[in-house]
Amino acid sequence: MDAYAGSSIMENMVPLKDVAPAATNTVNTQFILLEKGSITQDGKETTCLALVADETASVHFQMWGSECKAFEPGDIIRLTDGIFSYHKNNLVLRGGKKGKAEKVGEFTMLFVETPNMSEIHWARDPDNPKKFLQEAVISPHSRIFPPSQ
Amino acid sequence: MNSSKLLRVTAHEAENPTEVSLREAFFLLQPQLKPPFPLSIPSPSEYSQLNLAIAFGILTEPHLAKTHLTHLHAIVIDGYNFFTTTLLKLCNESYPKLLETPRIQILWLTSNLVQVAAVHVDSLIISLLRQTIGGHFSESNLWLCAELVKILSDNWDWILDEPLVLTSALFVYLRLLADHYRLGGSVKLDSLKRMEIDFCIKALRECFSLCLQIGRDLVRLLQDLVHIPEFRDVWKDLLFDPRKFQVLGFTDISGLYRMRTPAHYFLLRITPDMEAHLRFLLTYVNWGSQKRYQAWFAKKHLCWPGSETVIADIIRFICCSHHPPNEIIQSNIISRWAVVGWLLKSCRRNYFEANAKLALFYDWLFFDEKVDSIMNIEPAMLLMVNSVPKYVDLTHTLLEFLFLLVDNYDVSRKEAIVHGVSAALNLLVRKGVVRSLEPLTSCNLLSLLLRERLITFLPRSDPGVVKASSDTCSQRMVTDGEVAPVLEEKG
Repeated sequence: MDAYAGSSIMENMVPLKDVAPAATNTVNTQFILLEKGSITQDGKETTCLALVADETASVHFQMWGSECKAFEPGDIIRLTDGIFSYHKNNLVLRGGKKGKAEKVGEFTMLFVETPNMSEIHWARDPDNPKKFLQEAVISPHSRIFPPSQ
Repeated sequence: MNSSKLLRVTAHEAENPTEVSLREAFFLLQPQLKPPFPLSIPSPSEYSQLNLAIAFGILTEPHLAKTHLTHLHAIVIDGYNFFTTTLLKLCNESYPKLLETPRIQILWLTSNLVQVAAVHVDSLIISLLRQTIGGHFSESNLWLCAELVKILSDNWDWILDEPLVLTSALFVYLRLLADHYRLGGSVKLDSLKRMEIDFCIKALRECFSLCLQIGRDLVRLLQDLVHIPEFRDVWKDLLFDPRKFQVLGFTDISGLYRMRTPAHYFLLRITPDMEAHLRFLLTYVNWGSQKRYQAWFAKKHLCWPGSETVIADIIRFICCSHHPPNEIIQSNIISRWAVVGWLLKSCRRNYFEANAKLALFYDWLFFDEKVDSIMNIEPAMLLMVNSVPKYVDLTHTLLEFLFLLVDNYDVSRKEAIVHGVSAALNLLVRKGVVRSLEPLTSCNLLSLLLRERLITFLPRSDPGVVKASSDTCSQRMVTDGEVAPVLEEKG
């Protein structure tokens, strides 16, 4: 019985602490869902924000459509070809049009809530405008989903 | 979009590797699955593929199941080892998600595999027994209880040669009856209860020497059933006429009290999922990080009406079947006593809370260093001591309950119980699980009566203080090769 699901080897898997904003779908990562916000309508689309994390960091994960009801706190999710970018002023990780999020397990994964990659102020790298660098920490943890007492 | 003939899956779930291998083998070999069956001897890998294909066929094509089974009987060369092991794997990984047809088929298969005494069918039966959920009265859960007891009752000769299956099934059905008996009213349920009672009584009356292997928890299970007439008679015989069981050497119920229940029995009343989650929590999660895991655990396993009944079973598992190694005990991983404390607080009704406390203290009552493990009694001690002063109400409740047990559990054998509890307390101090009982005996927040009563369990010459060179709370004491945490304020 696998007690610890956090160690699958997939090409280009990154820990959450290494994600940086980019316009491309290249984020392959695995995390556990800690908390879900409410499901709302964004025009025709159903959307829901969640706090997810792995052993290195947490981040806000934006769910769309059928994802909103498919994932619950405690679910371990593998994201392939995801994108980490600004969506309506929120810096979020999401599947996007080309990416896919899949539940691969439950419960058996460790996590930290600090740092939160969505609560960081990023600035463009002067040497490489396509790259972003961490400039300042807005909050050590999610302000939308503060750590439970 | 995921669609599956075996498992209930949602659109966003990764495919289960076991299901994939079953399905792929089936589609690959489908032409060979119809008679006339090829007579060539398959290579080992072909044999495996054929087993997987037949398994998938039986599970998903009930109308062809008999044909597939005939095929299996014809080709088997390993006593059904690979086939049964495949089913076992599927069951352990995914039983809760199996669709209705594969569930029915897996039980049908189990019955057939018992009849050919397939290798590992005993493990398969035990795995299925573990899938019966305590306090869960859904149709599918009750159906599983019924199907399994039918298989066992129909194959009595076989089960007589399988003491582990017999005793495991007895353990499970005694426990289930305590919950089922309270339910009223449907004909189907009455018929299930009747089958469960008949199975248990037959095992107790005809194979008592085997039943003894369960050890003292057999008493704990039976005492919840004394209101059922057939069990009342068993109980009377146990107390007043033990020779009726015709087991050489068994002359008194205290013989049973003195036998520690082996750890594997406590796995029977928690599902593989529960076990995986609890072991993960107690092996990897640090102090301070447990809140979310506890919330998820409660949401998944403790949320339906009646689920509280399982808390006593979980506490028995934690105390008796999960013994962390020293590295974990010395680390910052959350301790068993804290998880037990959380579980106790989750009890809402007195009946279940009392059973949970009994589960926590059960190995204290007849503790004997020669047969019992200090690891079984450690969580209760640390919970009581570490709840002072912040949660002193809990310490008070637990101590009170312990003394209630001593006075009332078996009045005519009270001396033995006093002896057991004394032995437990003394060992805990001697081995340094707690440096002394002073945190309790000198705690003003506990009633004087409780404190004075506690002192009576210690040897008169020894106030119960282990001499330590320093008073630092964060030290770990090494005693006789057993490293155990000393009193620490945590949480």
